[in-house]
Amino acid sequence: MEASRSNALIHQLYVRQEYDECLKLVDSVLAETGGQCEHAIYVKALIERHRGRIADSLRLFQQATALNPHNVGRSLALLGKHSQAIEVYDEAQKLAGHQDWELWHAKGLCHAQLEGGHEAALECFAFANAIQPNDATYQRISELHAARGDHGPAAAALMEALEHSPDSADLLASLGLLLLRSGDAQRAFDQLGTSLLHEPRGARAILADHGDHDAALVKYRVVAAVEPDCPQLWNNAGAAFYGKQRYIAAIACLKRAAYLAPLEWVTAYNLGLAHLATGQAASAFHHLSAAVNLRPDFAPRQAGGSGRAAVVWAARAPARSYGLMGVALARLDDPDNARAAYARAAALDPGEPSFRLNHAVLLHSLGDAGGAAAQLGAYWEAAAARRGAPDAEEGCQDPDAAEAAGALARALGLAVPSGAQ
Amino acid sequence: MLSSGALGPAAAAGAAAACAPLPGGLNPIWLAQSKLRRRRFDEAIEICSAALAAKPYDQAAWYLKARALTLKNWLDDSEIEEEGIGDALLEEAGTAQVARPGTSLARPSGGANAPSSSGGGSSSPAVRPVSHAGRPLTGFARPGTSTRPGTGARPGTTGGAAAVQAALRGGGKPGTARPVTSSGRFVRLGTASLASEPGGPFINAGRLDLRKYAARPNLARVLCDYLLHVDNDARRALELAAAATQAAGFEDWWWKARLGEAYGRLGLLRDAAQQLASSLRNQDMVSTALALGRVHQRLDQPAAALALYADAAARQPWEPGLLLAAARVKDAMGQGEEALGLYQQVLAMDASSVEAIACLGAHHFYSDQPELALRHFRRLLQMGVASAELWANVGLACFAAGQYDLALPAMERALAAADDGAAPEVWYNVGQIATGIGDTSWAAQCFRLAVSLDPTHAEAWNNLAVLEARRGSEARARAYLRTARAAGPGAYEAHFNAALLAWRRGELQEAWGAVNAGLAAFGAHPEGLELRRLIRAQLTAL
Repeated sequence: MEASRSNALIHQLYVRQEYDECLKLVDSVLAETGGQCEHAIYVKALIERHRGRIADSLRLFQQATALNPHNVGRSLALLGKHSQAIEVYDEAQKLAGHQDWELWHAKGLCHAQLEGGHEAALECFAFANAIQPNDATYQRISELHAARGDHGPAAAALMEALEHSPDSADLLASLGLLLLRSGDAQRAFDQLGTSLLHEPRGARAILADHGDHDAALVKYRVVAAVEPDCPQLWNNAGAAFYGKQRYIAAIACLKRAAYLAPLEWVTAYNLGLAHLATGQAASAFHHLSAAVNLRPDFAPRQAGGSGRAAVVWAARAPARSYGLMGVALARLDDPDNARAAYARAAALDPGEPSFRLNHAVLLHSLGDAGGAAAQLGAYWEAAAARRGAPDAEEGCQDPDAAEAAGALARALGLAVPSGAQ
Repeated sequence: MLSSGALGPAAAAGAAAACAPLPGGLNPIWLAQSKLRRRRFDEAIEICSAALAAKPYDQAAWYLKARALTLKNWLDDSEIEEEGIGDALLEEAGTAQVARPGTSLARPSGGANAPSSSGGGSSSPAVRPVSHAGRPLTGFARPGTSTRPGTGARPGTTGGAAAVQAALRGGGKPGTARPVTSSGRFVRLGTASLASEPGGPFINAGRLDLRKYAARPNLARVLCDYLLHVDNDARRALELAAAATQAAGFEDWWWKARLGEAYGRLGLLRDAAQQLASSLRNQDMVSTALALGRVHQRLDQPAAALALYADAAARQPWEPGLLLAAARVKDAMGQGEEALGLYQQVLAMDASSVEAIACLGAHHFYSDQPELALRHFRRLLQMGVASAELWANVGLACFAAGQYDLALPAMERALAAADDGAAPEVWYNVGQIATGIGDTSWAAQCFRLAVSLDPTHAEAWNNLAVLEARRGSEARARAYLRTARAAGPGAYEAHFNAALLAWRRGELQEAWGAVNAGLAAFGAHPEGLELRRLIRAQLTAL
């Protein structure tokens, strides 16, 4: 009688988050009952966990363990003892049967943290979703896929989750960013736009650049008030200014981004681009070389992304850095190194036509007609391949580039292949 | 009036062989006065000693000798405020244990703990680095600002051991000791100045009848300054000043100012403030106002000090010292933007104020105007200031302005000029430049040199950890971060990075502790708040 009345009071205090009061009551109850009141211990353990003292909380849960193994497992998992936690969860499943989605979900989380537990984690999450679909579970599944680079299944998981809760701004933003990363810009912006409708100040969604620079800048201003020291924000604002051809503002924003996060290669790359646009080739060279140095994984990736020069989404970046470095070096009257940079760029990304054309122009200006003709041929080949590719972008066939190639061909006395105009 | 020329040289030769014989027919007293005026104190002292040896009760010689000794040992302490360990730890003058933000130097309103509503002002810790005590770095190293123990770490409140550690570490450079108490330091200074006098102390203060002197105002003033600056015997000076004030009918500002100074030396700050304020009421003096302002700061009442400076500056609009003092308080309170206007006013009055130029340069550097900062630093170089710190600043400003070819030679000069205290900072900054160029292995080398010279350089440890984590060796990164967090509790980056690594590994207990430590150092850190939100979501999930 006495104990049950206290239990109700303890619960009330707990849900009202009056933790100090609640702990006082718990302690008095525990003193009365000699530490035999399970609910009191349980609530005390929960409060300890809320306050970040996981080890204390684990000790309390172990006191109350006989009836509730789930919390012991959770405490172990929070402490980073994942394999122990999995054992506890297995035991709990023996007791509680296999129809509890939370146990499956928690076990999946532990597997995901363990090395090589990827498949097991996915399996656990699938069981959990079979019992009861849950946003958190879908998000974990998507994260697991995305971490391995499987964007398709990751997006599929999120879309399934959206069927259950179509209004979740968080899910929409995650899906948008994922689509953006896998190169599906149009759908990505649709998702991000919907996410912004639900949560107008969500920084994650805003930070993804739209094609529309003015709209983007307005949105960046909103974020800048909330997070003034966010390097990604300044980088994207700089890119937007670059897109509007306001180069001084772009350089100012990008410099701030570089100050806040000196190890971001994108910022260095964008700075190089902006300096090239303002004719400061030496500075551009330094920034581009920084970008190359900071991005050591030179493996050419599959082409993708939105094709805009200012917004480089992880693809082709090292190759482009080298290509632009070639331009900077050519402007600095260093043809040998410029040629080397172009060669490096072409080796890294053989499908990209622009370096070839720049290389051809450089060789022509040096008087090497044969080399120029070879590079020009490579340019037409690459441009034709690009046009024929299924994911043809509107940006890859630049009319200026085609015109320059035509002029060069005339100067070299070559015939322009049909279809290149 | 002319005394016989033979007396002086003969006596002087007895006292000190090196003394040149007096030119014939010159009165030694007149000559001593002339030497004193020309600030040739040693010669004046010798002449007076000779005169006193001949006539021990010659008041003129006594007066001149005391004056010369005082001026020789005079330390202009209006710019110095060094708190000893004992003073900082056992301070009982502060009224509130937990002061309201903006009313205490221990809890500045701007800077680390302010909500970032100012739209990214240059005093945010994400932009402007902080000192050991958690204050935004100013452009000018000052003794007083760095020594006070950091936010709320007073014994009896939280973490007494941490407070002792912070007090022992001080804000100074590695290898510099800090006095246990400031009064003890004065005692040492006193014995040193007395030991350097041949033939024992000139005035034996213990045997003087101070009341008799107090009745003779001219001698008493010289004696009081002698006691304060040569003997460093604040207690006797206090006695003399008290008696003299009484003799002057409590109307003499000079005696009240000396009373205040003596009280301040003895650590009786409330009495000091009272006397100095009373002196200011009698006579408006810049030096008294500055002294009173310093007492207010030692009492941890920056608002009172600011009000005083503003009041005094309105009455003495040509005095840059008052504006500078106010600017320093603003800087210490984390109100860098307001200090800026004051520095500009100072420069309008005194175009060669090194402190104002340096602070303006630093401000321009941190608000993305490295070219302007460079102009200020170049002005300092033209004025003949050529310290390692200045060259390092020139190098950083050149780098930020994109002039790479000038940045590295400037850093080389900084390294050449650097002593043990500055070298770790210079190497750290070279490491920043290396990071900016993208040469991470060079950067790591620089940071390693910095920590080898100063093992408590938390920022360098943190950057080393980041570079290691980039390279993929997470265990080493964790070890470096642990060192960084132990070395500099005010460096929020190390806490946050440690929290992030722990979070990725799933060790929430460690992550929770680290993220909270980071937020204690920089409460408005958006990424830190986000991480704490994520961890809390994990902890509260059933």
